[in-house]
Amino acid sequence: MTESQPTAIVFDGVSKSFGSKQVLQEVSFSVMQGETVCLLGRSGTGKSVTLKLLIGLLRPDIGKVLIGQDNISSLEGDDLSRLRRKMGFLFQSAALFDSATLEENLALPLRRLTDKSKSEIEHAVLRALAEVGLAADRYKMPGELSGGMKKRAGLARALVLEPEILLVDEPSSGLDRITASEIDDLLLEQKAKRRTTIVIVTHDVHGARRVGDRFAVLDKARLVAFDTLQCLENHESKTVRTLVGGQ
Amino acid sequence: MICTIADGGRLKTFLEFIGVIASFAARVITSAWRSPYEFEQTWMQVGEIGARSLPLVAASGLALGVVMTLHTHSTLVTFGAAAMIPKVQSLSFFIEIGPLVAALLVAGRVGAGIGAVLANLRASEQIDAIEVLSVDSFKFLVVPRVVACVLVLPLLTTFMDLTALLGGFLAEHALSHLSAQLFIERAFNGFAWSNFVPPTLKTTVFGFLIGTVSCYYGYTTDEGAEGVGRAATNSVVLSSLLVIVADVVLVKIIFLFFPGSAL
Amino acid sequence: MRNRNIITGAFVLAGIALFALVIFLVGNQRKTFAKHVEFYTEFANIDGIMKGSKVRVGGFDAGEVTDIQLPDSPAAHFRLTLSVVERVHGLIRPDSLVSVASEGIVGDKLLQIHPGSANLPQAAPNSTLRSKEALEMSELLERSAGLLNDVSGTMKEVSTKLTGTLDAATTTINNANDLVVGIKQGKGAIGVLLRDENTARSVRETLANVQQATASVSDASMRADRLVSDFESRNLGEKVDQTIASAQSAAQNVDASALQLRQSLTSALGPDSHGVDAANNVRQSLSNVNLASSNMVEDTEALKHGFLFRGFFKRRGYYSLANLKADEYRSNRSLPAATNTRAWLDQPELFDNRPDGSEELSPEGKAKIDEAMAEFGDGAFGRAIIVEGYSSTGDTGAQFATSRVRATLVRHYLQARFGLDSRDVGIVPLRGVPPPSTNKKTWDGICLVLLKPRASAR
Repeated sequence: MTESQPTAIVFDGVSKSFGSKQVLQEVSFSVMQGETVCLLGRSGTGKSVTLKLLIGLLRPDIGKVLIGQDNISSLEGDDLSRLRRKMGFLFQSAALFDSATLEENLALPLRRLTDKSKSEIEHAVLRALAEVGLAADRYKMPGELSGGMKKRAGLARALVLEPEILLVDEPSSGLDRITASEIDDLLLEQKAKRRTTIVIVTHDVHGARRVGDRFAVLDKARLVAFDTLQCLENHESKTVRTLVGGQ
Repeated sequence: MICTIADGGRLKTFLEFIGVIASFAARVITSAWRSPYEFEQTWMQVGEIGARSLPLVAASGLALGVVMTLHTHSTLVTFGAAAMIPKVQSLSFFIEIGPLVAALLVAGRVGAGIGAVLANLRASEQIDAIEVLSVDSFKFLVVPRVVACVLVLPLLTTFMDLTALLGGFLAEHALSHLSAQLFIERAFNGFAWSNFVPPTLKTTVFGFLIGTVSCYYGYTTDEGAEGVGRAATNSVVLSSLLVIVADVVLVKIIFLFFPGSAL
Repeated sequence: MRNRNIITGAFVLAGIALFALVIFLVGNQRKTFAKHVEFYTEFANIDGIMKGSKVRVGGFDAGEVTDIQLPDSPAAHFRLTLSVVERVHGLIRPDSLVSVASEGIVGDKLLQIHPGSANLPQAAPNSTLRSKEALEMSELLERSAGLLNDVSGTMKEVSTKLTGTLDAATTTINNANDLVVGIKQGKGAIGVLLRDENTARSVRETLANVQQATASVSDASMRADRLVSDFESRNLGEKVDQTIASAQSAAQNVDASALQLRQSLTSALGPDSHGVDAANNVRQSLSNVNLASSNMVEDTEALKHGFLFRGFFKRRGYYSLANLKADEYRSNRSLPAATNTRAWLDQPELFDNRPDGSEELSPEGKAKIDEAMAEFGDGAFGRAIIVEGYSSTGDTGAQFATSRVRATLVRHYLQARFGLDSRDVGIVPLRGVPPPSTNKKTWDGICLVLLKPRASAR
């Protein structure tokens, strides 16, 4: 947490509402490069919305979201596309394309966003699948995969472009504890190997404690805490203490 | 969606609905001309919407052709106009029945399919996933489907027309042992291009309506799993309705430009 | 994936191929892919022909109407461009006619190019072919219905009139026959005549003429009957013409024969004081013949003036003022009316007697007529003039004949001298009795009547 480390993400006074429902209210935080931040909070407190704001799927009503130096919420078209190329997103449901095989799912971003040749793409896809242990299943359709395999495949797709920033939405949802920890292992491996900046939205405190460097706690549309595990365990708010520690 | 507001705002809601659909359609049109073009997706949809609808369309055409001949045969024979049967058959299918029935069949099969598939993509975050990959999901998912509908309907209509003619011939052959050559000769005697080309090409409009409406319901639904079913139903209802309404207008327009096609 | 692509490709190719097939089938029917020649034609009424209407050459589907240029004034015509396949070009000659036809009762309208004469060269491409306007069906029906009405009415009238005339003529002939028989048998006073062979032969010949004339009248009458029975036939007007003409010529024959007979008898009997009785008998018979023949003429005339048939005859060119019927003339309100300008000319002023007893216009008479015409002034031209002929000497027949001759003489003079149209000069033999409106009891000579301008052609 040295101040010399450059920031990868800045969330600056962001407010977001859907109709009359305020989801985020003046939320500000920043994430350093190579840092892993876990977003915690009760259901419906705007954790997933925060992730979508980060990648530009949603735009803030007020405030700025900076990725590196760029305000992603003001970018369009190619600029947005260029910025997104640096980011990977693992969806809660993995969001693999139903109509394509695993291999095609991974090949799509490579084909779309890089100039790689067919064989290079094939090679990269295979390597990414091998990393998550799915090399043998590359011709399978998503419907044939189990929940954990889908998650791993989704992760492989998010990582296939070797992003600087990885956004992860509920990596452990719908998975048993063992499978969930496999995902956590993969995330840790990624962090260790590539110093990828990771933002994880999760309910799984167990996993979060393994992976996270710092923890952000959202409650009633506001950011109530943003600090290391040690600090939060002794936080004044009971909600925060419950969320991070389970005590 | 149409009937949510009861306090006198129903008209406003209705107008808003029209406006939203219209701007969706406008977005389809403008996006379709901007690169990058999703040829691969479009080709896939041509297969999905066209080739896979062919058995349904061809079977319906064959059956309708047989039924139509059985009906007209008994009637026309009483007037001694049995020679008119092939012409009645060809004109009625090429001008109206073929285009309309093909469009309604596609609206049923494909409209529901598109609505459900897109709604499901939305619900399972696949649309977001596409966006995240810096792919314009609208161009990736909506435009190819609409374009495929536009391209495929004239082809399906032609299949419908010809299978109906085949069905008509088989029925007529069974009834009166008419030769195929004479049947074709009579079917196309006095037949103008304006009896075939404009009615067949008007189905591109039907295709656009079916594609746009279905994609609208599928793409914009945001209600999770239960939204999928509703999107499918709404797609079929509205696209069928629009096809029939558009047909009335198009028939009039065709008469205007091709007075010869009026019977 | 590959499998699916193959299916999609097959679907698209088959669809396009079938689309093309239909286009080809339609185009084949339309002879679109054959080489074409263009011609033009013009119609006042295109009777529902449209762009794309079929064009047949000698019944062969050879092309279509490719363009219709609309006329910009009622006097102009629709100009149609016809595109026909090159192969039938040989059938189309400069005298080929283009007409509108329909394909069956409920079928489309189409154009038919009738092949032209073989001895002419092929019509040049882009030349304008002559057209035959289509008759509107309703127009045709109306026209023929009117014609049939006219004709059937006329036929009935003609047949009754002719029958009546025939009866009168027959009576006359019978009288004449009796006379001839008497003469042949040398009975009574007539027997005297037999002494003169020449006279007898002359009388016999004349009577034979009369008989012949009568036969031709009855023939005419039969023809009229036949006509009535087959008036549905197409050349109705022509037959009417023929019948009327033969009736007229029959009547004229009778007329001429009667005159001849009278002349021969007059010359034979006139100077002979012995044959007074016989001469009277003969005269009486002859004036019967005369009356009958003039009745017949009048009857035919009456037909022309009859209220119902006037229009018909006028349209057919029969009507003229040339011969008016005396009875009708007298009872007509406008013709002899007092308001008409009249010029009374006396017999001695007008006529000189020829050596043979007949009359001719004298130079003084001509001067009188000129004078009367001068008094009528410019108004006389373009207005109808009736020449009333008067003669109060002799019996009715003689009066009639003489008054007619006088009127005729004056009419001929008027036509010759003033170039009046025969339709504008009418004659009417009135014997010795002027119409009541003139306040004259008897007259001998001529009266010229200048009719008030006609309100309409009558």
